[in-house]
Amino acid sequence: MKRTVCLTILILTASLAAFADIARPDKSPNRVEKPKAAKQIDTVLQIRLDRDAKEARLLIPKKYAKELRAALNEMESGENSNAAVAENTAGSFSRTQTIVSGLFLSLALVFGGMWFVRSGKAATKSGKALVIFAIVAGAGSAATYVYANAGPPPSARSITGKIFSKSVNDYGYASGKIKLQISDDADDIYPRLIVPNPQATPSADE
Amino acid sequence: MQEIRIRRFESTSAHIFLGAFVVSCAVAALLIGSFPLAASIATIFLFAGVHNFMEFRYFMSRMPLHWGRSRTFYSVGIAGVLTLSAAYLTLYFASGNWLWSDESWAVSAAIWNTALILWVGLLFYLRGKQRPRSDWAWAFPAAFFLAALAWIVPQYWSLALVYIHPFIAMWFLERQIRRTKPEWLRAYHYCLASIPVFVFGLWLSLAAQPNVSEETNLFWRISQHAGSQILPGISSHFLVATHVFLESIHYAVWILLIPMVDWRAVPWKLGKIPLFSNKKGFPKLLAAAILVSLLIVAALWGGFAVDYTTTRDIYFAFAIAHVMAEFPFLIKML
Repeated sequence: MKRTVCLTILILTASLAAFADIARPDKSPNRVEKPKAAKQIDTVLQIRLDRDAKEARLLIPKKYAKELRAALNEMESGENSNAAVAENTAGSFSRTQTIVSGLFLSLALVFGGMWFVRSGKAATKSGKALVIFAIVAGAGSAATYVYANAGPPPSARSITGKIFSKSVNDYGYASGKIKLQISDDADDIYPRLIVPNPQATPSADE
Repeated sequence: MQEIRIRRFESTSAHIFLGAFVVSCAVAALLIGSFPLAASIATIFLFAGVHNFMEFRYFMSRMPLHWGRSRTFYSVGIAGVLTLSAAYLTLYFASGNWLWSDESWAVSAAIWNTALILWVGLLFYLRGKQRPRSDWAWAFPAAFFLAALAWIVPQYWSLALVYIHPFIAMWFLERQIRRTKPEWLRAYHYCLASIPVFVFGLWLSLAAQPNVSEETNLFWRISQHAGSQILPGISSHFLVATHVFLESIHYAVWILLIPMVDWRAVPWKLGKIPLFSNKKGFPKLLAAAILVSLLIVAALWGGFAVDYTTTRDIYFAFAIAHVMAEFPFLIKML
């Protein structure tokens, strides 16, 4: 019993010590202000499927780049510094949450297992049934978690003409590398997304 | 010779108890569901202080004169109540201080919740050691698991405490009925089973209702307390009504039902309190404590009448002590 109490106190002290250095917030009272919404620029996005393109490119006309630069300066002038602090603090608390909750879950499993074996319930029929159920439930939960984290279909893993296919539409999400480029061309009025569209080849998900 | 017996239904006190409970809950659910904010204000105004006094009076009657083998249990219980209450009040009143960032406050709140859970687990373990042929060491893995939940989902954990608290009184009543009115036990279990039915009825009628007004600070606080910010997808009309409904049952249990099943809990029967009536007791101290408690109840009513919002905030800050005190006495009854 004393060991349990000492172990628990040690864990709580360790989590406290990790946050001994509390940074003084910029403002008082301590509440972080809600950051103002970033400036938005209304425009049109042209998407062009190009058979000869090797990689996806997003071309932004110079005038929009200038407007974005102005918006960025406005953000950096300090109005969103609180948002940066909030992001950092939220990240730190998430790490602490993960560490401490993981520790307590481990302790629960260890102590629960020890009690289960010591109490002799593991030797009974109902005890064995409970263990089998727990293993099956645990395996099922793990499988659900893994399946829930299954990756996107191949066509959704790069920016090509295939992102407009039904499988990607069903998945609802696609991502891939693109090149961001400021366009000097006077003919470019709107931002333009050039999407490689190679010749159709049979794919596994079609 | 054959004997013919006619079986006739005879109403007993248990049937009357069950009927009265169900009818009262139905009326309460109807009124509270229709006017949740007004019901919240009225019930707290009328019954909050009184129910705390009745709890205190009940705990006095359950506290033995000599702790004997329960010395460790009561010591841990009282120390936990004092320490956790003091820590809670420190967190509460210091939360607006510049020393606290959002992160440090969140960590401190999570540590407080962890301390509460581990304290309750320890009380269960100590109680198990007093019972012959029982091993309540399972309390520790259960406590560790709950502590993990308190860190993983801190807001939902805090909200769960708000909604679980009313059921503590119902558990007290169940243990008391077992001891002093066992013929009511089955009827009481039916009463408990009817509560989810009423909550479901509130859900059916109020889930589609618009949120309650938050035009004043008080209304916003009532709504927040019921979890409207944590559960934005659920109508706050339903949340506030459900919370007030459960709290009303909680108040009724302490003020009416527990004294009904246990004469020792009747406020003016001081002779039933071991600490008062025993030769080695403390009659003057207990009489003074009861008098001070009554004065606090009166002061609370006065405060509510003058400035309801501020008094409500102060009340809920200090009321944590009574929530803490419930745990050792309840676990001792198991």
